[in-house]
This record gives sequence, C-alpha cells and structure tokens, in this order.
Amino acid sequence: MPLTEKPLQEVRKLPPCRATCPAHVNVQAYVALIQRGKFKEAVEVIRRDMPFPAICGRVCFSPCEDACARVNLDQAVAIRALKRLVADIEREQGRVVAEPVPKKYSEKVAIIGAGPAGLTAAYELAKLGYPVTVFERMAEPGGMMRYCIPDFRLEKFVVANEIAYIKDIGVKIKTGVEFGKDITIESLKRDGYKAIFFAIGTQLGMKLNVPGEDLEGVINAVDFLRAIALGKKIIIGERVAVIGGGNTAIDAARTVKKLGAKEVMILYRRSREEMPALPHEVELAEKDGIKFYFLVAPKQIIGENGRVKAVECLRMRLGEPDESGRRRPIPIAFSEHQYEVDMVIPALGQMVETSVLPPELISKEKRGPPLQVDPLTLETNIPGVFAGGDVATGPASIIEAVGAGKRAAVSIHRYLRGEDLRKDREEEKIEETTWVKDWRLLEKKERRYDAPIEKPHLSFEEAREYLEKLKRQARFEAFRCLGCGPCAECLASMGLCEGDKAVVDEGKCVGCNVCAVICPVGAIKKNEKGVAQVNEELCKGCGLCAARCPEQAITMKKLSNEQILTMVLTALER
Amino acid sequence: MEMESSNPPKIVCFMCNWAFCEEEMRVPYNVNIIRVMCVGRMDPALVLETFINGADGILLVGCKPPDCHFVDGNLHAERAVKMLKKLLALAGLEPERLKLLLVSPLEYKGFSHYAKEFSEEVWKLGNSPLGKEELLANLTAAKEAASAFRLRVLLGREEELTEFMNAYGVKISEEEFNALLDDVVRAEFIRYKIHYLTRVKPRSVKELAQILGIKPSAVLRHMTNMRRKGMIALDHVEGYTPLYKALEVR
Repeated sequence: MPLTEKPLQEVRKLPPCRATCPAHVNVQAYVALIQRGKFKEAVEVIRRDMPFPAICGRVCFSPCEDACARVNLDQAVAIRALKRLVADIEREQGRVVAEPVPKKYSEKVAIIGAGPAGLTAAYELAKLGYPVTVFERMAEPGGMMRYCIPDFRLEKFVVANEIAYIKDIGVKIKTGVEFGKDITIESLKRDGYKAIFFAIGTQLGMKLNVPGEDLEGVINAVDFLRAIALGKKIIIGERVAVIGGGNTAIDAARTVKKLGAKEVMILYRRSREEMPALPHEVELAEKDGIKFYFLVAPKQIIGENGRVKAVECLRMRLGEPDESGRRRPIPIAFSEHQYEVDMVIPALGQMVETSVLPPELISKEKRGPPLQVDPLTLETNIPGVFAGGDVATGPASIIEAVGAGKRAAVSIHRYLRGEDLRKDREEEKIEETTWVKDWRLLEKKERRYDAPIEKPHLSFEEAREYLEKLKRQARFEAFRCLGCGPCAECLASMGLCEGDKAVVDEGKCVGCNVCAVICPVGAIKKNEKGVAQVNEELCKGCGLCAARCPEQAITMKKLSNEQILTMVLTALER
Repeated sequence: MEMESSNPPKIVCFMCNWAFCEEEMRVPYNVNIIRVMCVGRMDPALVLETFINGADGILLVGCKPPDCHFVDGNLHAERAVKMLKKLLALAGLEPERLKLLLVSPLEYKGFSHYAKEFSEEVWKLGNSPLGKEELLANLTAAKEAASAFRLRVLLGREEELTEFMNAYGVKISEEEFNALLDDVVRAEFIRYKIHYLTRVKPRSVKELAQILGIKPSAVLRHMTNMRRKGMIALDHVEGYTPLYKALEVR
C-alpha cells in the first residue's frame, strides 16, 4: 500500500512540513506531484487530508513553510502558493463534482456549526461512511471563512465550491437551524443521532471595556465584517480607528478602507514584532495606505451628541514577557493623547458565545476556556458529545480547526465502533525527520515564488500562455522541495514511480560499504554480520546503490536491472 | 548497430523520473524513453548492454545540479558516464553516442528539442567503423569489465577518495584519480577481452597479442593476473606453445 494511503498511525517519521501542519497534510506528496506536472492528482492528495485546498491556499498561515528545511539553503518552498495554484487550476474547467461515498454505517452524527472544524469532521466521517448532518445558524455554511474573511482575501465562490464538494460526498447541511432554540442535545438524541460534535467557534467580539463603548460609530470587527458579508448597509466613517493587531484587525481595516474611509489607522498596544497578524498581510495593509500606531491603548472613547468624536489613548512601554511569550505592555502615566475619529472598530479577539451552549457543558471554573474538553480526544463531560475547534481552543486558524475536525472524526468513529479512544492516537506518535545530511553540494540561492494576487486582463490566447507560464513556474518552485521525509510514494498510485525498495542479497554482499556511502538518505547500514542492511522506511528507491554495488548484490524490488533491460529490448524491437 | 543511412538511428533515452513531464514528451519516433528513478540509477553495465542490444545512441537525462531529487544522483551519473566514455573509446565505438543531459526545469526548451538534436548527432556518426563480430566482442568485454568488482568499486569510491581520503588517510587529487581510472579501465577491458576471446577457443599469448594489437609481454602480464584470479587456465600445449582457455567467472 502506498504510504499516502496508509493511516497516519503507521507512518512514524514525517517531513517537517507535514509534522508541523495541524491537519498533517501530505505536503511532500503533492509537491512531488506538482513537480511532475500532475496538478489534478496533487489536489486529490490534498483532499485525502483535508477538504479545503483552495481556501487554505489563500488564507492559511502556512506553518509548513516556517518548518521547511529548505530555509537552511535559501527560502522555504512556497507551499501555500503552490496549493492555491493547483486548486485554482482544478477549477479551471468548472467545479469538480465528487462521487458520493456509500453509507457503510447506520449511526447518525450531528455536527453543530458549519465552520472549518465542523465541515472537516463531517467530511472525514462521511468518507468513513457515516450519515452526517451539519446544523448551521446562519443562512450560508462556512462559518468565519464565509462571514469574517473579506472577499478580497477569500472569494465567496471559493468557499461555496469547497463546501459543495463536501455536500457531494454525502454530507447534509441544514442552514438556519439554531442550537438551543430549534434543536437541543435531547431533541437530537430523540431524532436518532448517536454522536454530536460542537464546533460553534468563537462568534462574539471581545469588548474594549472602556467608557464610551456604546456610542454610535463603535462596531466590533467581527460584527462589522459579518454585516459587510451579509450585505447590510453600514455607515462608514471618514476617519476610522481599528484597535488590535491580529488578522481580524487588518481585515477590518482593509475592508473599511476599500469601502471608502479616507483615513484608517490601526492602534496596537505592543510593537510591530509582537503583532499576531501575518507579516504579509501587514505589508498589504501598508500598501493600501493604512497607518499603524504602535504602543498605544485606548483609555476612553469620547463622544459628541451620541456619536464618536475621538479616541483617547495612553502610551505603553513593553515589560517582561507574559505567558503567551510576548512582552507585556505597561501604560505610561499621564501620556494621554487623542485621535480624532468618527468610527472605532475594536478587534481584540473573539470569545465563545456561552449562551448558545447547553449549561451542563460549561465548566464551573472561572478561569480558562468556558468549555472543557480532553485535548487529545475532544470528549466533553457528556458521553457521545464532542467539541473542538475555536470553541475549545480559543480563536485560532483555519488549519488548526481542520486538525481539530479530523481528530474529532477519529474520536467519533472510535466511539461509535466501541473502540478505545486513546489507544494509538496518531497525534502522539509523530516524529519529525529530515534526511538531508549536509548541504555542501547545494549553493545558496535567492528565489521567491508566489502565486499572483492580481489577475491580469488577457485575451483568450494570452491567457493560455499565461497559464502555461504559471504552471511552469509552479513546477520549478516545487522542484526546490528537498523531499525531507521518507519515501512519500506519492507517484506510486499514479503509476509514475514504483515505490521501489532496495534488497540486499546477503550471500553476495562483501561489506565494502560503497552502498552506505552512496545512499543519499542514509537508509543502508552495515549490520553486526558485516552485511549491508536496508532500512525500508527510509529507502526512497532511487537505486543508486544497485547501480554501484561492486558485487551486484543489491537489486531493486520493482525496477530491477532485468526489468529495465526488458524495457530496453521491447523499445528496440519497435 | 548496422544502420541504413536512410533510417534514423535507434535512440534509447533513460530519463530521470523527475526531469520532464508527459506533456513535453512529443519526441521523434526513433527515440524510446525509459523512466528510471534517477539517472544515477543507471548501472554502467546496463548502458553497455543496451548498446549490445542494438541501440545506436543512448541519452541519459537528469536534473541539473544542485536540483537532484536524491542530492547527488546526477553527479554519480556524471562519474559513470566519464568511465563509460573511456570504455566505449576502447571498444571502438564513438563516445559521442552516449550523452548525459542535465537540465533544469526552468531553462528547458522542451525535451523534443534535445531529443532531435541528439538524434541528428548520432545520425551524422553513421555506422560503426568496426565489423559486427568485433564490435560485439569489444562491447561484451566492456560490459563484463563494467560489471566486475574492480571498476565498480573504484566508481563507487570516487567521491570518497577524491573529496575525503582513502583507507591510508591520503587524499587523492582529481588528476591522480583520473589517471588511475584510465589505467584500471584499460587493464580491465583488455582482461575481459582476453577472457571473451579465449571463451570461443583456446588461444596462445602470441595470437591474443596479435588480435589485441599490444605487446605479447603485456598480454602475458595480464594473463598471469587472470590466472591468479581464476579467470583463465592452461588448456593444452601445441608444440611448444601453451594455449589458454577461459574459465567460468563466478
């Protein structure tokens, strides 16, 4: 069985990109497929691990790139941009329609919340053969992806397409159903649902807790973005202050600027280095003409006739690092100053809407998250009820929610099959590995690849050429992947690579060590008998050892010398 | 190997799995592509075997350093090709019939361009100047030399010897290694040619020297060596002339 199709439990050592990714997407495999120009197959490989290739290709914070071993040489492989490109190319000829997965089990599963976590859990469970229904309060599924990420970062049709794919494989999505009002745990159990997964996210924007917050013109970033996504009319101010330094703050600031605000400023209480927003996004915001004021925190919002007139701030200095690792801002006394604004958008983070949750789930402790779940299995204190994603961890990213959704799906599957939820969990076993022994052969180079943000206006012919150019660039970028992990066998299922392994004939081996020196991945070692031994987990099947073995003691399992010779003979007979 | 001047040459192309993708594979019909995991995977003996089986030219396609998927598979291929060209020259076949092409995916002109270019180069070379029999003998000898321990171990150790040091802690320069490789390739080729010739029928030193075109003393030196290794043995004596016969190797 190719490694890509093996359950993660059996794959111990992973390349850094896959080990770091919360959803453990097989990066090495799809990058290798892009290398070979197999774009469609690359998307298929991504879909094995998660249902959102196009969404993550746009807005993922790409922890894989931070972990990429290529950093030691020049720059990380542009994994996210590659993912975006293949997902877009797949859509080139219309949306891909998936085959429905036949229902293998009869136990119904209910999922509350059609955000990334809920949809991923539904996708994974439907793939296993469970009848899954997702309940969503809003009119459209997608959660924060649909309602909080502005259109210029993530187009609505992209979200709709990926959700349509999930629906294709057999997930039912019921929108406009509110938990606590239309359905409860009891009603779901009465309707025959055997397991419930809470993935309601964090929908409430945090409050500033300063005087003047109720004034007209103060609107929370989450509410603001949601209102824009819903198409509601909102009076946009001329001078807008966005408070906070996260991605939501940047999104809100850029949105309000694009909607016509003359001057937009972001007020952040720490300095630029501590900003949780992606550096790339910050750069784009600066390009849009948004001003940044660092080390300032609002003290009060001053109003006039019930409307915002100014925001009064205190200057801050940075103290010792706090538990999050960032330096704690300390206000400087008597440093009050005012910014003249007519709109204030606080973007300080989100919190769980506890009023929606059933009271028995809410933890009694005052400190900590309102919902206590087992971090490994995502169980709550009610059997059969699971919770994960932002609702359990606090606001995080799409890919982390996807990871939680996958974990929930494994737990629910085990729970419904009566298996041990804790035994052999894949998350505990992942080991990071990179085989690259030394870098002496590789020279330092400056290269940077990114998928184009703006689409040029082109004629039909030009567009085709342009796409060819993009594909070529992508293949070249994918070529930079060093393939850190053990054999990804990514091409084996496509019939392009044999997923080969070297075999040593112990009778012939004289222990000369030539193979051990030649092996690029260090998969061959001499054992105590003085005979070469192949570590099959590491062997990538390149066959360099077989080509050099002085005694011809090494053969390849699949593409042996004899096999190549047969191919030569048939070729020459033509 | 006998090629009508009107027929295009038969080209076999061993291509790295990672070098080109299928869409770029519009190649002339006389070029046959065989995918291998890495050009470095090409066993030198296998390349010579392909020539024996009637290929007019062999093209090895890999990735340009430093982009090899297996770090230095392409450099291993370079070393093998260096040795193979020496063997081909000894066997009387133009070394240009073997070409190693290391291309980077960004600067390629499409594989068909390179395939056509190489095909034309081989076409220009025409038929081999040697007769069919002699060429087969030479190529078989070369192939056997390339499958034997001595050349292979030298090839496998090249990187170790020239970039680090040998078992005695001495580093060998590139020139020294090349001179050594020249000597060994030549000696091994002659020995396996002698082996091939004595396989057909028992022959004397003088006869062998005549066929090989080298001094009888040199032949004798090789034969002493071969007898020690158990490659040949005395068959019988005709008059005063001892005749030798090849023994089965391995």
